[in-house]
Amino acid sequence: MHYKFMKNFYESGGGICPIPKKLLLVMKLTAFLIVVLTMQVTATVYSQNKKLSLNMQGNTIKEVLQQIEAQSEYRFIYENEKVNLDAKVSIRVKDEVVENILKQLFAKDGINYSITDNNLILINPSDKQMNNWGKESINSQQQKSVSGKVTDSSGAPLPGVSVVVKGTTNGTITDVNGKYLLTNIPASITLQFSFIGMKTQEIAVNGKTLINVKLEEEAVGIDEVVAVGYGTQTKRSISGSVSNVSEKNFNKGVNQTAIDLLKGKVAGLTITQASGDVTEDQTIRLRGVSSLTGSSQPFVVVDGVPGVSINSVAPQDIESISILKDASAAAIYGSRSASGVILITTKKGKKDTPTVEYDGYVGISNVTNMPDLLTAQEWRDYCSKNSINTTGIDLGANTNWFDAIMRTGISQNQSFSLSGGGANSNYRASINYMDVDGVVKDNSIERYNARLTFNQKALDNMLDLSFTGALTVRDYSPTDTKNFILACNMIPVVPIKNEDGSWYESTEFDHGNPLHNIELNKFSNKNSVYYGDFIANLNLFKGFNANLNLLKERSTNDYGEYLDSETERGRDYLGLATREGWTNDRNLLEATVNYKKTIKNHDLNFLAGYSYENTHYQSFGARNRQFVTDSFGFNNLSAGEDLQSGDVWSSANMSKLISFFGRLNYSFKERYILALALRRDGSSKFGDNHKWGTFPSISGAWHVSEEPFLKSMSYIDDLKFRVGYGVSGNQDGIEPYKSLELYGASGKYYDSGSWYSAYQISQNANPDLKWEETSMFNIGLDFGFFKNRLNGTLEYYNKKTNDLLYNYSVPVPPNIYPTTLANVGAMTNKGFELLLNADVIRKENLRWTVSVNLAHNKNEITKLSNATYSTSAILTGSAFVRGGSYNTTHIVEEGKAVGTFYGYKCLGLDSDGKFIFDDMIDGVTGLTSDDRTYIGCAQPKLTYGFSSAVSWKKWDLNLFFRGVYGNDVLNFNRLAYATTQWLPGGNCLSEALESGLTDTPQYSSYYIEKGSFLRLDNASLGYSFDTAKLKFIQKMRIYVTGQNLFTITKYKGLDPEVEMAGLDPGIEGRTYYPKSRTWLIGLNINF
Amino acid sequence: MKKNKIFAVFAILVISFVYQSCTNLDEVTYDQLSTSEYGTTSSEIASLVGPIYRTYIYNFPSGFFYLSEAAGDMAVVPTRKGGDWWDGGAFKEFCMHKWTSNSSMVRNPYNYATSGISVCNQIYSIVEGSSAISDENKKVTLAEIRGVRAFWYYLLCDNYGNVPIVTDFKDTSNPVTKTRKEVYEFIVSELNDIKDIVRSDVSTSSYGKITRGVVYTLLAKMYLNAMVWNPTGGAKWQECINACNEVMKLPYVIESNYKASFTTHNEDSKEIIFPIVYDACQGPNCLQLMTLHNLDRIALNLNCSPWNGVCAMPNYVKAYDSSDLRLGWSFLTGKMIDPSTGLVLITSQGRELNHTVDVTMKYSVDDDGWGQVEQEDGARCFKWEYATGLGTYMDNDLAIFRLADVYLMKAECLVRLGQDNAEATRLVNVIRARAFTDASKLKSSVTLDDIYNERRFEFAWEMTCRQDMIRFGTFLNPITGWKGASDSKYLLFPIPQTALDANPSLKQNPGY
Repeated sequence: MHYKFMKNFYESGGGICPIPKKLLLVMKLTAFLIVVLTMQVTATVYSQNKKLSLNMQGNTIKEVLQQIEAQSEYRFIYENEKVNLDAKVSIRVKDEVVENILKQLFAKDGINYSITDNNLILINPSDKQMNNWGKESINSQQQKSVSGKVTDSSGAPLPGVSVVVKGTTNGTITDVNGKYLLTNIPASITLQFSFIGMKTQEIAVNGKTLINVKLEEEAVGIDEVVAVGYGTQTKRSISGSVSNVSEKNFNKGVNQTAIDLLKGKVAGLTITQASGDVTEDQTIRLRGVSSLTGSSQPFVVVDGVPGVSINSVAPQDIESISILKDASAAAIYGSRSASGVILITTKKGKKDTPTVEYDGYVGISNVTNMPDLLTAQEWRDYCSKNSINTTGIDLGANTNWFDAIMRTGISQNQSFSLSGGGANSNYRASINYMDVDGVVKDNSIERYNARLTFNQKALDNMLDLSFTGALTVRDYSPTDTKNFILACNMIPVVPIKNEDGSWYESTEFDHGNPLHNIELNKFSNKNSVYYGDFIANLNLFKGFNANLNLLKERSTNDYGEYLDSETERGRDYLGLATREGWTNDRNLLEATVNYKKTIKNHDLNFLAGYSYENTHYQSFGARNRQFVTDSFGFNNLSAGEDLQSGDVWSSANMSKLISFFGRLNYSFKERYILALALRRDGSSKFGDNHKWGTFPSISGAWHVSEEPFLKSMSYIDDLKFRVGYGVSGNQDGIEPYKSLELYGASGKYYDSGSWYSAYQISQNANPDLKWEETSMFNIGLDFGFFKNRLNGTLEYYNKKTNDLLYNYSVPVPPNIYPTTLANVGAMTNKGFELLLNADVIRKENLRWTVSVNLAHNKNEITKLSNATYSTSAILTGSAFVRGGSYNTTHIVEEGKAVGTFYGYKCLGLDSDGKFIFDDMIDGVTGLTSDDRTYIGCAQPKLTYGFSSAVSWKKWDLNLFFRGVYGNDVLNFNRLAYATTQWLPGGNCLSEALESGLTDTPQYSSYYIEKGSFLRLDNASLGYSFDTAKLKFIQKMRIYVTGQNLFTITKYKGLDPEVEMAGLDPGIEGRTYYPKSRTWLIGLNINF
Repeated sequence: MKKNKIFAVFAILVISFVYQSCTNLDEVTYDQLSTSEYGTTSSEIASLVGPIYRTYIYNFPSGFFYLSEAAGDMAVVPTRKGGDWWDGGAFKEFCMHKWTSNSSMVRNPYNYATSGISVCNQIYSIVEGSSAISDENKKVTLAEIRGVRAFWYYLLCDNYGNVPIVTDFKDTSNPVTKTRKEVYEFIVSELNDIKDIVRSDVSTSSYGKITRGVVYTLLAKMYLNAMVWNPTGGAKWQECINACNEVMKLPYVIESNYKASFTTHNEDSKEIIFPIVYDACQGPNCLQLMTLHNLDRIALNLNCSPWNGVCAMPNYVKAYDSSDLRLGWSFLTGKMIDPSTGLVLITSQGRELNHTVDVTMKYSVDDDGWGQVEQEDGARCFKWEYATGLGTYMDNDLAIFRLADVYLMKAECLVRLGQDNAEATRLVNVIRARAFTDASKLKSSVTLDDIYNERRFEFAWEMTCRQDMIRFGTFLNPITGWKGASDSKYLLFPIPQTALDANPSLKQNPGY
């Protein structure tokens, strides 16, 4: 059964042709739906009295309708197989209303039509015609009529719904009032009510003559449109590994960036909040680490603009986020996509639905865990028990230094947007204000986001122009983590302030008053990102689009720091003031052409494009020391009296990326899908010998559920098998100029009593420098069973990254520097991912859906050396406790995973409380550095998320758990502070009094703990008001959300979720910022 | 028709954009300079030659300081109570002569020296190929660069012995190890080549540069140690004396005030032959941070937070005559007073801040006898003046060679040759005269032991300890309370493992 939507801009450019139902894009349909749904409330926007003139001789009815569409805003909807529009007619009218034209047109064909208020014309066969069809195929004894009304969930009538006798092509569509009538129907059959964008319902007739139906909006379905990079595709037609999360599945709560919305939602996407610092970016890893020096952060694309900062979009402006997980999907982004691609689609204005939306919340945060240090009383008890003379040390105070620097953080977010659109244009403007205070007193961020998108059609809808302006301004202060060290070291028996009101200070090693630091020192960032993006899309002829995208983006940062001369931080400098600023400009031009063609059962989609991008970065900075007064802060550098070498600096660099790319999508009967993509990237940053890289990919899918042999299995709604292979690159590890031999300023040299600027070759040149290359094989299965009540995805991937960048030791001389950045190593990541969604309860007033995702990844370094560059192993990570400068924590070695802990294996404590280390690792008694071994791994065996959403009448309750299993964490706080050796001069963890350890703490497996945890990350309870009777309010919801509510773990430190970036992940360091628990209350209103 | 026109315009726009900037991927450098474009004028050449001396500044007083003083018996970095300066046993290894090719204390100085040589070769090739400077100027400049390189090779020869000799910057092949003998002969030949070309003035403008005085002093050092570094070449005592005589002809003087060579502005000292020039604004000389206790900041009125690291070996200090003024000029000992209260400072351990000469291992003593000492133990370096309000970096230059060293070298050679003991005694007494108020402390004759001891008293902290000990045969001896006798392989440091990994043509030193 086929429908036609005429005058479809996206699809046919005004032509009429039968379009398979399943290829219709939801986007268009949504637009259509909205037309229908809002016609009750919207005044007629187009006069039905519009006069048309036609003069057509010997044309088909179809062509006449096409002409009407061309002249007017009317669009026709009809069932392809029931209405024959190929009859030739002749018509000549002048200034006639459409109704009269149609009367004339359909006079003798027995065709009914109805015109909606919104210029939609439904064409139905007459009852007579319908009865004939009924007779054709239904050979039954008891035949009768069934009628009824189809409405949406709010009770509004739905015109154009298809009502079909199941198993046949017989049926009708509802009229403008949502009514339908079927005659001569056997009593035993089942009716299917379907409408795109709504869930299909089946109702057995069972002798009923009146069947009224309420259709519900479709949840995430296979017809969902998903951004795939340089275009969109329906989920159905995708053959690569793409995950999509849309607004209603986003995380709720204090969400600073797009990434917060996704945390725990996507199998294989690990998002780690390394600390409680509200200004800190999160570590994002897709399918494991794939770089030794590069960042491994996925590449971010916002509305087709590549390489945008994830901070530049307020979460409230985001409609959906796609994650291109495998190389067959990501390769279209070439040398920047090896760590995956995150495609963000923002909300747009919708036709005829002017909406004003307000979204706001207020929240409070408190710290979840603080180090359990000795209280003043415990400190005194310890000293008296051990006969320690505390005269001169114990000043009689009772201070909890951690308490002193912590607070209750208050957060708020206010977001306004207005959107709407008419026949030829739409717009959305939004402004968002966010203010988040960390639970440490010096830590806060204030952010403003503004975004305007305007879209205008021109040239008879051939040209689609859109303009986006976006602005992000952030003022923030990261916390000074040194204060955590001070808060641990400072003893609890000294005061914060002396009796005379002056600050108490201590100049002992790693001592100082942390609150004094916080109150007087400043670390201030003013960061902005603004861009304008202009897109022109020309629909030249049917199926052919040419697209031009122009972007200008500027990001800037202005940093100011002042370390007060009285504080621990500033006393060595007698005050230190620093200002630093940078500007990064980016220009982008992208041109693509896209051609779609359907030939019978073959669908072809061809894309070709060119991209040119250049960036220019510049920075400057200055600092000065020794200020007579602290009152200037960082605002008057010239007032300082001790300008040293290197205290004034500036720099600039540029880079260019030029790309050619193409993609071909082919599908046969929607059953067999093939996609080929190729990108050729040239980057100025690459060495002369490798300026250009080629990144091909291929993927295919078999939509098993479309096969006739499975059609009969009604419990299978969707079954798709995908396989793909592709090559992508990562160039994050290469800074501009890295391949060249250059002279750079190199400090000053002394000559005749003065100092002059020296120049020196600044690095070892490497003309072979290039991207890191990842090839990935991916195999996946998408499934939906039991009316899609159980659906999900299972995937396996094998990812191999070659040409890993690392700074290799090279002989000096002939080289000037002992290390050269070179592409040498290789590593693999293999894993599987499972996503499962289930509608457990689906009743009118009660719905319960649960969703589970699981991911397992195994990382292994397979190669670290080649003929030119070699290293046996890289010992890395710093276990700096007092006296541990040269200790390393991790090893990077062939056959091991990144994040492998390497050190002595502790077998326990002896009777004197000394460590017993395994000294036989090297086969010889006596502890040497060769007795170090592999003592854990920071990478989890499994990461998972579990969410549950219950809605009951107007209430909804969402719970979201996430966790990891099978990882190890180095509890550095214990290593640094679970010792009595610094008493009485420094404080320690209470554990030190109980553990029996008398030895000097030393890095070993003793401090490696299991890091598995399960966390209730988010719980949200909401209530939606019944706004049906309210004239001005369309939607209103209030909600209460709790974040980070509890964690189940055996880990003894503050929080098992720690920094996962770099070659030394999995350490809860001495400077760990404790996490917080947040409660917030929010309101969302649509006008 | 209309559509075609639009398309044509669109296509022309796109194609012109594409064509214009299609495939040009050259990098435009803004904050750095292409090596092919810079170095064409004499002032540009000067800015490129300047860095040869910069290569020195990071290696002293840290890298080579530890190689000389901590591997020798002058200084020690004990593990402090609580584990400060344990550093995985790095300093214990050094003190007890158990270092390996993976030790970072072995690695860093090697890397400094080899990269210094590479910089010299690079600058040499720039100057050699430059048409921007006169032939005469070029000749002197090239000699100066060879002198700097020879100094680096001198350090490598002394400490690592068998290293590759590289002089051609353009040769990018992996260099091969040369024997210590070859390295020795290379240095001597280089110095002899340039000794009469380099400038000979002793002036503000030659301060810190390779001069005739520096080259001859370096030659004297080579000849002095010839029996260690090139034993098959025979003793060179007389050659050493000759070189010393050449230096003594130059207008250097033994400063009557010993401290003059160690003050904040010691560039005025006429005793200094070859200094590493430092500046508080340039860094990175932070000897005070390495040695002082945190609270010495208060006692000495400093504006920095010292690290409480290196102190003197007790026996080294105890060997001094108690009336030797150099004892107080070299070491900070005793109770530290808070000037604002007049009271002894109390540490966070609840103890008086008393820098005892003795350094006693009391806590967590392991099987090797290594343990932890009190935070305040040990005599601290007090040789270079700590300016009032001293911040992170010191202004004081470090004299690598000073005239007193030349006097004692000559005296040593005279004694070793059995010649003119009177002259040797005179030279020693010139040095002793300013160290004692009591004339009875002057020598009437000198023995080799006297010379050895005098060098130790005179050059505490001045990075001569290990070399002298090896030459006098005391380096492998046990140190009571610290280490036993060491294996002779420790007379040389190993080639760092990282260097061997990077260059398979290198050979490890015997025994490692």
